[in-house]
Amino acid sequence: MADSPEAVKKAQKLYLLIGAILFVFTVVTLLVATVPALDVGRHGFDLADMTIGLLIASLKAGLVAAIFMHLSNEKRTIYVLISLGIVFGLAMILLIWFAYADPIEFKGFYDIGNLK
Amino acid sequence: MSAEATAAHDEHHDDHHHDLPFYRKYIWSTDHKVIGIQYGITALLFLAFGFYLMMVMRWSIAYPHEPLPGWMSWIFTEEWKARWLQDGKVTGDTYNMFGAMHGTIMVFLGIVPLGFAAFGNYVVPLQIGTVDMAFPRLNMVSYWLYVIGGGIMCASFFMESGAAKSGWTNYSPLAGFADSQIVNQWLAGQTQWLLGMVFLISSSLLGAVNFLTTIINLRAKGMTWMRLPFFVWGMLVTGFLLLLAFPPLEVAAIMQLMDRVADSSFFMPSGLVSKTAGVLEVSGSGSPLLYQHLFWFLGHPEVYVLLLPAICCVAEIIPVNTRKPLWGYKSMVYAVLVLGFLSFIVWAHHMYLTGMGPVVSTFFQTTTVLISVPSVILLTSMIISLWGGSIRFTVPMLWAAAFLPMFGIGGLTGLPLAFNLVDLHLHDTYYVIGHFHYVVAPGVLFGLFAGVYHWYPKITGRFMDTFLGHLHFWPSLVFMNVLFFPMLTQGMAGFHRRWYNGGDAYLVEEGSGNIFGNTVLDWVAWNSVMSWGAWLLALAQIPFVINFFGSIRFGKKIKSDNPWDATTLEWATPTPPPHGNFTFDVAAYRGPYEYSRSDHEGDFYPQWEEPPREKAAPSKTTTTKESAKES
Amino acid sequence: MEIPYTVTARKDTGLFNSKVGIWLFLASEVMLFGGLFSGYIFLRIYADYPWPERTLPVLPGLINTFVLIGSSVTVVFAWAALKMRQWRRFQVFMGITIACAAIFMVLKGIEYTAKWGHQAVRMDDYAIVEGHTHKAELDDHGHFHVIHGKKYPDHAFPANRIVFETNEIQIDLTRFYAPYMKELIEQAEERGSKILLADTIAGKRNPKADEKTVAMAGEELAVGFLKDARELFLDARAHNAGVRTDELRRLWRVAKKNNPGEPAYLLASSVQVDDAALAPRLVPATGTVKFNVQPPMPFVFKRSWIRESEESARLKDDTILRGKLQECPLVMGVDAIDFRYMAQKAEAAGKEPMSVIANSWLLQKPEYKELWKQHLESVEKLEQKLIDSHGWKDEARGIANRVPTDTERYRIGWKDLVEYKTGERPSMVQGFAGPSHKKEEFAKAFPELEIPNEKISLQSKFTPKWNTYYAIYFTLTGLHGLHVIGGAIVLAYYLFFSKGLYLRNPEWLANRVEVGGLFWHFVDLVWIFLFPILYLM
Repeated sequence: MADSPEAVKKAQKLYLLIGAILFVFTVVTLLVATVPALDVGRHGFDLADMTIGLLIASLKAGLVAAIFMHLSNEKRTIYVLISLGIVFGLAMILLIWFAYADPIEFKGFYDIGNLK
Repeated sequence: MSAEATAAHDEHHDDHHHDLPFYRKYIWSTDHKVIGIQYGITALLFLAFGFYLMMVMRWSIAYPHEPLPGWMSWIFTEEWKARWLQDGKVTGDTYNMFGAMHGTIMVFLGIVPLGFAAFGNYVVPLQIGTVDMAFPRLNMVSYWLYVIGGGIMCASFFMESGAAKSGWTNYSPLAGFADSQIVNQWLAGQTQWLLGMVFLISSSLLGAVNFLTTIINLRAKGMTWMRLPFFVWGMLVTGFLLLLAFPPLEVAAIMQLMDRVADSSFFMPSGLVSKTAGVLEVSGSGSPLLYQHLFWFLGHPEVYVLLLPAICCVAEIIPVNTRKPLWGYKSMVYAVLVLGFLSFIVWAHHMYLTGMGPVVSTFFQTTTVLISVPSVILLTSMIISLWGGSIRFTVPMLWAAAFLPMFGIGGLTGLPLAFNLVDLHLHDTYYVIGHFHYVVAPGVLFGLFAGVYHWYPKITGRFMDTFLGHLHFWPSLVFMNVLFFPMLTQGMAGFHRRWYNGGDAYLVEEGSGNIFGNTVLDWVAWNSVMSWGAWLLALAQIPFVINFFGSIRFGKKIKSDNPWDATTLEWATPTPPPHGNFTFDVAAYRGPYEYSRSDHEGDFYPQWEEPPREKAAPSKTTTTKESAKES
Repeated sequence: MEIPYTVTARKDTGLFNSKVGIWLFLASEVMLFGGLFSGYIFLRIYADYPWPERTLPVLPGLINTFVLIGSSVTVVFAWAALKMRQWRRFQVFMGITIACAAIFMVLKGIEYTAKWGHQAVRMDDYAIVEGHTHKAELDDHGHFHVIHGKKYPDHAFPANRIVFETNEIQIDLTRFYAPYMKELIEQAEERGSKILLADTIAGKRNPKADEKTVAMAGEELAVGFLKDARELFLDARAHNAGVRTDELRRLWRVAKKNNPGEPAYLLASSVQVDDAALAPRLVPATGTVKFNVQPPMPFVFKRSWIRESEESARLKDDTILRGKLQECPLVMGVDAIDFRYMAQKAEAAGKEPMSVIANSWLLQKPEYKELWKQHLESVEKLEQKLIDSHGWKDEARGIANRVPTDTERYRIGWKDLVEYKTGERPSMVQGFAGPSHKKEEFAKAFPELEIPNEKISLQSKFTPKWNTYYAIYFTLTGLHGLHVIGGAIVLAYYLFFSKGLYLRNPEWLANRVEVGGLFWHFVDLVWIFLFPILYLM
């Protein structure tokens, strides 16, 4: 196991550093969302803002997972397990989106309106 | 103080097991074998209850105008009958209620607990050579969560609203709105269905965590991945299906629960109007389709959760009774892994009629047709395993042998449903009901019965009676087919499902120009044939009940701990296995199906038997280094 | 019997059991929250009304993010302390972690309470107003009037109730809901009216039994005899059903004997129970009971209890009230006006949104007309600012690079109202949990509004009922909050009850704390996504 007392002691400095980075990124998230000067894309909330927001959030999540949850020094088994969760979670979201985004259309037959 | 100074040893667990009082040993037990038996008996009781509900439904279908006969209705109070029957006849509401609960109880309270939890709990730790599940107390909690969930579901029959009645699939907006006249929503059957589901899902999730940790981390020395009996592989995949597919259903249940008790509109579209309540006072903008996606995201892996434990049982019973190794073990392992993976991306074939466009429909059609490949690999491997075998037609083998063609019919009848164009015609007809019942009833249930007869001697030390076994088997086989085969043909002709009066409302005069009515007229006579099949099938289960309980006292005693001459590790224990399972340092020295071994005494070489010292070849045993490499 | 690998790791997987278990569990939690996020995505993309943007006060969410991240750091320090066998240090850091969890839940509680006290109304022309309902009372003549000020008499009720003058009540014996009955009795007592049974309730359980009198005409409504009446009715109904069932069975036996081989569906029309012939064997069984209200009085009901029309009203338990619907407007102090839905409906109908809005019922009131004028000026200023900073896309056609969002154009938020009135826009700190009607300097900026009953299409507090955004917000944060509580309980167990284990087998405790910490980090991870998605997008 990588967690001998000496390694743990050294890691504590790293934990503090990551904690500080997370704080900074949180402020960045807020600024990107509220300060008009940092508004990319169109005015107001649009796809670009969403992408940036989710990107920063994913980065923070990655740091938490890798360092705080020791993912970076775990064996392969754990990676397989958590990847299954992420892969199937994404598959679920993407395939449901696919189903919503490709509805059947009857041209000229009758208007069924917004199928949801 | 450093980490090394204190001993990092595995804690002793319940050393004084034999001193435990009765309730700690048999009721709040943490022993996987006791829990397995608890699950098994509870599940069989729920199966019987679900069967009864179906018998009443079949009366309504065959004789919708006649009052329920005394032999079926004696169990109800007069007050209940006044409320739910009209002059003794089954009403639409009652039929719907029984139908929804029949499906729910059979699937979630019956087959999954019996197949996965009961058999898995009892057999898996034994077959991998360990002392118990990884988390025994969690195991116990899982069982009691299941009992609570099942209890809530059954209690809901006695509510003012009755139990849930919107189909076992519980689609919104109907399921979000049904029983909404009940002021305190928590007392409404529909709400309690959702609450019960939350308990059941939690039970399954915790169970899956337990199973997977056990299989991954507790295998005995020498039990490498490719030496695992196929039973364990099947349970592994089933565990992953439960772990990853149940949470979206939990989400759907929570959201529908919010719709019911908090008036949210997750699944309620805008502008819904009801006859009794007028325009619904909700915000609208919800998506009924979202419920269907979340439900079927579980719903499809769920059918493989139903199936795999039965395949597991049959895959163990066939080698034992043909005295040959399982044919294509490696292909079966890869097939079941691929099956598990693919099962997550096929679900929308249950939703072909929801307005999905051609591209997404084709995607799901493709994956669905693809998933038939591993299923067929599994089935054909087991069929080929029979070839050239010295078949002993013990009662377990009868059931296992019958499983193969019955599940074959079930699986093959599923193929037309995979194609979205054909499904346009077959969706919501009796064909679908025939298909899935063939897979589950003469399919899965036969496989599980096989397992019961097969492992009964290990659990109780006595064989189940052979004559009663035949008396159970042959009529069951006949009546299963009498009940379900006509459904396939009725459905192809266009007979709808969920008709409480068996199509009576659509009957026309002979010679009428109404094509649909004529179809119904042509096929309606089969309803009573099928119903009699169902009622006679019920009679055929009586020998099983007598056998199951009677053989504990009166069954023929086994002469050895390994009465079937099997090779897998569960037969290396005393009978019944004590707390801690093995009385020696168990290890696996070879694969799980070493039959037809002419070089060994008897015709089989058990997994646990140490190779003779002089001839010990390095490749036969394993060192921890090798096992580290192989896993 | 020992279960292997509970403390030491298995060599080939490199893991001890509970670590495998927790990561499996976390994989399922990823699917759980993934399912909820997917719900959020699809409900938002395919919503058929305008999705609320940035309506939540950000500060509590922001503080909670810092609190959770901090607690993630402290929990890993707690685990590190255990690995280094520093018990005191472990206690300190674990204590801070749990304190952070408590702070998180307290802030969450403040947020939730503020929402549940906030009223929203959608009118029949799709105008939306939000604010704070006043209290009202019925005077001695039963007329509705609003109470302003801070002191209310006991019988005051929120000014969003239905008032129905009732002279007759019909109760369904099988369906009545006891708390509703108690409410009727209490209100009648308060106003000095009596709810009296119209006709004596008496009957037989079956023809052979004695006639039983449950209650006499003129008796006051009480749940006790209602329950007795229900018993009597159910017994009579059961008896009657039994008689009819037996008769139907007999008729079928006869029909089948007389027509052997005929399929049942052909015989069915001829097999009918003859009610007249059967009557002597049945007992009368009426399922409803009538009461008179003397003198007639106005009852006050929550809107969710009742469906009302001019002349009659029906409670959710099928109690029918006859009388007259009274004037019962919804009276509130308005802190937000939202025309986005109206604009969306106007556009869908091919009309010009701005003119539809200008002609709406709300803007005919002078105070609101004035506010809207100020708002339009403010929007114009914003438009100009955007043109100044980002320029034109197509100057000839008047298309700027950046234009105000729909929210800015059609919605007057509470901060806007304060700004229009006082000239100063409240800061993030001042509006901590949203608009406070208790603060004088804000409340004076919020105009009054009396909405007649007929104009209300949907009214609710800021609860899951109001729109799917709040529904998914409460579900997501609620489930997350339950995970916070659950995790905190487990960590508190390790803090307070693990000294014994620490002395016996500290490595095992360190493993368990690590596993608990992994769960805690996951909870933090979910919040890292929740905060921007729910509060900032």
